Amino acid sequence: MSLLATEILTPRYELAWYPWAVQYFFMIAISYSALMLSLPGLVFRRERFLPLARLALLVAVTCTLVGPVALLADLHQPARFWHFYASPAPWSWMSIGAVLLPPYVVLTILYGYFAWRPALVTRGAEGQGWDAKLARLLCLGNWQTPQLAVIVFGALAALFACGIMLYTGAEIAILASRPLWNTNWLPVMFVLTGLIAASGLVMLLNRLMAGANADVYRQGLKVILVAILGAAVVAATWFIQGMTGYSPSVQAALESVRHNPDWTAIAAWALSAGVVLFLVTVAMLRAPKWQRWAWLLGLLAIHMGWAFRWLVLMEVQTVAKNTAGYYHLAVEAGSYGLLGIIGTFGLWLAVLLIIDILVPWRDVNNARSATY
Amino acid sequence: MDFARRTLLGQMARLTAGAALVPLSSLANAGINDQPPRREGDSSKRYAMLIDLRQCIGCQACTVSCHIENEAPLGSFRTIVSQYEVENEDTGDIATMMLPRLCNHCEAPPCVPVCPVQATYQREDGIVVVNNEACVGCAYCVQACPYDARFINEKTQTADKCTFCAHRLDVGLLPACVESCVGGARIIGDIRDPDSQISRMMAEHHDDLMVLKPEQGTSPHVFYLGMDERFVTRPLADPAIWDVRDNEGKEIGYEFAGH
Ligand code: SF4
Ligand code: SF4
Ligand code: SF4
Repeated sequence: MSLLATEILTPRYELAWYPWAVQYFFMIAISYSALMLSLPGLVFRRERFLPLARLALLVAVTCTLVGPVALLADLHQPARFWHFYASPAPWSWMSIGAVLLPPYVVLTILYGYFAWRPALVTRGAEGQGWDAKLARLLCLGNWQTPQLAVIVFGALAALFACGIMLYTGAEIAILASRPLWNTNWLPVMFVLTGLIAASGLVMLLNRLMAGANADVYRQGLKVILVAILGAAVVAATWFIQGMTGYSPSVQAALESVRHNPDWTAIAAWALSAGVVLFLVTVAMLRAPKWQRWAWLLGLLAIHMGWAFRWLVLMEVQTVAKNTAGYYHLAVEAGSYGLLGIIGTFGLWLAVLLIIDILVPWRDVNNARSATY
Repeated sequence: MDFARRTLLGQMARLTAGAALVPLSSLANAGINDQPPRREGDSSKRYAMLIDLRQCIGCQACTVSCHIENEAPLGSFRTIVSQYEVENEDTGDIATMMLPRLCNHCEAPPCVPVCPVQATYQREDGIVVVNNEACVGCAYCVQACPYDARFINEKTQTADKCTFCAHRLDVGLLPACVESCVGGARIIGDIRDPDSQISRMMAEHHDDLMVLKPEQGTSPHVFYLGMDERFVTRPLADPAIWDVRDNEGKEIGYEFAGH
């Protein structure tokens, strides 16, 4: 017997997580991914990865500074954030995240500081201009930058970055209430799309701020290639798990959006964006003369990383829990909606420009950090 | 296939209703996302609600009285009676289905372990409450509840939900929704007391009781009598009324979709 049912009265269900959440997940994913990209050059001291590492470090530090601001803004009671530390709940992933985040931020800043300090010392020694004075101020006294500090803080920050990867993914993936979230593949997907976006941003900044270094483009493209292949395997596995009924939760997830034209459109778009990204990346790696356009591909990569989070965190909230219907997703202007999105990006840009003025990040050099 | 699946869910619903009678005692103290220890409340009791759908006329008296008693902001509800218009595709017959929804005060509530500041907790008597002085408004619990029983109260900017009117129960009064129900469809009581009305009714109708979304493993403690098992999990229904808002987001009316 088949039924046609109509829910006559539907209360309004508000979004519980605002676009701020997307901004946090986006910023923090770029932060930990960029941090990873900086390791070969700065912690393992491979010379040919140094140009990549300089940019990646800049991206990591700026995003690490801005991410937590967006997180705070997503709380409905931001002034109560200290409750996280006054009454922690070790069984809650969010509480674990609240414990991991501050040391991660501090370690990343220290990593950046010690990597940048030798260059600051050099700039401080050059003349009497305001930038030299500022640099001397930022050197915090007259002492030799410990050679090991970059390696130690870089490695520690990387360790905490793994914790951030784990908690941001697990926090969402454990929510059985939403089958579209409730999969172990979600944390993996967050990391892979984070790597894609971070590489994209590094390639873009390479064009805008670092004179379009060819090594950076090539290395960035390779990271994107590996990550997009990984993402394709993960997406295909998730889909097959659902179609075959191997995972009832994925099956329920597919079922929940199957007949919705918006979701079909989203899936088609995601698939084509992924295919385009993959094909162009392969083409550029095979024909180096095209690599000078890699920053354009970087824009697509950034977009993918962001749109994936928008899809996962915002669109999924519109799938009704109690019926087969959908809630209306209205992104309002004002601090909870558009303004929040634009504001986060604006803040990040401001932080980037300030660091660019204050810090000679282009001059980071392993050899020199040994002598100062 | 679909029918088989739903029948299976219906059976699960019954099983779960039965299993809930055995107290799940030792859930406390374990790893990530496990249930933290309960606190406060009378551990000799376990409150639960039985909703006799045969008596529900869909008048929304409970919705209104709860709204007044608990001062929920306009547009947010701790309880609501979902009303479905059901058409039999073969015969064209139309029937109406009423489904009062509220917090299920689950035995394994997924909303509790997610709370990062221990603001949401379960009392010893099974009632799940929010301390809105501690709540940081992260809305994690709102996401974790499979029943949409929670919302962020726009006045307090903290999580809000049905409390079984604990403030009334604790002084010997009945919850507002129970008090105001014209058909006496909502029965609340202590299921550890074998002589309570709810215990007697649960014993009498044991095999016909159902809970919502049993597959979520939450072990709800709102039991439905006279339930159509196709409504136990997300019914294949489309919402028909949406509110209409003006450009500033102010509500200006309702609209029927697809009518
Ligand atoms: S119905 Fe939702 S809010 Fe109520 S106890 Fe269960 S999970 Fe928590
Ligand atoms: S919204 Fe409040 S009660 Fe809910 S999880 Fe966050 S802090 Fe806890
Ligand atoms: S028990 Fe109280 S809070 Fe819960 S639905 Fe009834 S009136 Fe509302």
